[in-house]
Amino acid sequence: MLKIRDAVAAFKTLNGLICVYKPPCVPVKQVQHAIISNLCRDLNALPDRPREQRVEIAGPTNQPMSVKLVPNYADDPLVCGPRYIKDDFRCILGINDGTKLTYLINTSRLTRAYKIHGVLGKATDTYFWNGKLVEKSTYNHVTRERIDGVVAHMQAAHQKTMFQLAGVHMESQTMYELASQGTIRPGNSNLPVIYGLKCVHFKPPHFTLEVQAVNEYDKYLWTLIHDLGVQLKTSAHCTAVQCIRHGKFDLELALLRKHWQLEHIVGNMDQCRQLMEENENMLYPKSATLSV
Amino acid sequence: MNAIKVILQRRAIGEVSTRAYATTKKKIPDPDEEEQLPIFKYPVSKSSDRRMYVTHAACGYGFTVASIKTQEQHKVFGTGINTDSQIGYHSPRRGHPLELLVSPAPIYIPYKSLETTVIGMDAGRAHTAILTDNEGVFTIGNNAYGQCGRKINANEEYRGSMVSHNIKRLGKENVTDVVCGQDHTLFVTESGKVYACGWGADGQTGAGNFESQEYPALVRGDITSERIVSVASTGDCVLALNESGELFGWGNSEYGQVPMATAQHQVNMSYSLLGLTKGIGRIVDIATGGSFCIICNENGDVFVWGYGLLGLGPNVQHTAKPKQIPSALFGRNEFNPECKVEKVACGISHLAAITNNGDLYMWGRNRHGCLGLGSKKDQYFPLRVSIGANVMNVRCSVDHTVAICKPFM
Repeated sequence: MLKIRDAVAAFKTLNGLICVYKPPCVPVKQVQHAIISNLCRDLNALPDRPREQRVEIAGPTNQPMSVKLVPNYADDPLVCGPRYIKDDFRCILGINDGTKLTYLINTSRLTRAYKIHGVLGKATDTYFWNGKLVEKSTYNHVTRERIDGVVAHMQAAHQKTMFQLAGVHMESQTMYELASQGTIRPGNSNLPVIYGLKCVHFKPPHFTLEVQAVNEYDKYLWTLIHDLGVQLKTSAHCTAVQCIRHGKFDLELALLRKHWQLEHIVGNMDQCRQLMEENENMLYPKSATLSV
Repeated sequence: MNAIKVILQRRAIGEVSTRAYATTKKKIPDPDEEEQLPIFKYPVSKSSDRRMYVTHAACGYGFTVASIKTQEQHKVFGTGINTDSQIGYHSPRRGHPLELLVSPAPIYIPYKSLETTVIGMDAGRAHTAILTDNEGVFTIGNNAYGQCGRKINANEEYRGSMVSHNIKRLGKENVTDVVCGQDHTLFVTESGKVYACGWGADGQTGAGNFESQEYPALVRGDITSERIVSVASTGDCVLALNESGELFGWGNSEYGQVPMATAQHQVNMSYSLLGLTKGIGRIVDIATGGSFCIICNENGDVFVWGYGLLGLGPNVQHTAKPKQIPSALFGRNEFNPECKVEKVACGISHLAAITNNGDLYMWGRNRHGCLGLGSKKDQYFPLRVSIGANVMNVRCSVDHTVAICKPFM
């Protein structure tokens, strides 16, 4: 943990990406708000830059006047307000200049890994726990082996869509060469592709799937659980979706809510910068082959 | 909505009245009807086909046979072309046997005991061989080259024939496996000996000559001292596998399927292919197509050689040495390192592989949509077939494919 001496230097370093663990049931906006207000609070608590001085020329004009520097009250935080306010920050996933990097991360279509938690035996209208219960069914026949079997098939089915979405003609040599290298990044960002899918926890009725995917979105992952339920001849809905990896950014790196403070954020930003320097082609992928 | 309904009704009435049903109720045959027959681009299974569980299936040239586990007379069913009685005698009217069955019908086989169960079957161009557990092999269909294992009668009429031939034992041993090539039949016995009968112009009977073989005779050459566990043949080339996973071959070698020291296109005796398969390791499954061979080893890697759409991309049409199909094409990647191929199968010009997860991958010529990939285009590398079940076994023939599946639950 590096020691931060004063607010100005600290603010200058705040240009980059940070990796944050978003707690469940908290909207992203609220996370941004919390981080920015924490940053403001911590920056304002740091030793401030010296207050601006005002040149005061005083005395009668027909005599030599005295020139002196006096404190400028217009620059006093008590008068003009705190030094750092929320409007000073831009934050999407990155802070200030880091917002450009977030765009790159989005366009380079990194794989994300999720843990999706589901419950067997109940189906809801939204496929998520907050929906209305529409169906109940028995699930005693479901075993770990059977879940594994169905999940393997679902995964293999996506393998095929992966080739079809690569944007290359299926009968060309290029397609063959791409396909024989393994996983391919999809050509557009519309359709979700799943690269890996496995059941990591099963304790009926609760189960957890681990998914590696590109272009996925929350509703898609919920329907995945619903489909699994149907294939298992029961019903299921999703109870939680937890992102455990985004490209090379994993859970180890993610800041918990208690660490949303200036020193941790600066440290985290430094780690992210190192990570991106090590894996330069993560942001500028040169081939369609999936590397991360 | 009501308005639309009315229009539709009127249209239907109009259509009926314009049709020429003038005096008889008989439907006028439509010459284009045959072309309108469906081509199944996706795997299909009718609910009516699912009443009994199929244990074994086989694909011939334009016909399919399947067996069920039952204690009743009808254990084997066939559907498709029946010009040579390869799927039994079926005549709704006496003296008018059907040459085409459009739905599965039971094949009459004279079992001695109804407790006999079918443990294997295969079909060739126009003959079917059915293997039972304690009554040997039953063969039906065309015997023009002796492929049924009985005397060739040049004047025999195969259409509407009720003849079935029973081969109880071969060399005082029970038969454990039966494989049909195009016009020949191969039998594997308990002690691992291979017998063959039928068309031998390419040496596919392995008897050391190019004659048709009437009665099953031992295959000569390198395999006589080996214990053979499985034999594969779809066209005119034959591969055999011994119990330690070594490969042997004979028959047609026009495209180098069974490479010999001399440029020999017909190999009439079995030869060891140890030199060809060097470095591949223990082979677990084999299959041969019309002009190529495919094998898979214990690591789940797939190797092909020969000529055709081998699955090595559009640029590779011929390879003399076994070449591996990248395992990434069968779903092995960093997320699924355990994925491996366990079974392979071949039609005349298309190939199939089944992985340990029960996924079916197919590639090759897509004649009449036989790949089941949802299109009629040829496929140059393995692609997974969308079947909503675990694939247990797959059988291919000249232009169709049958997979035996097990539901997920």
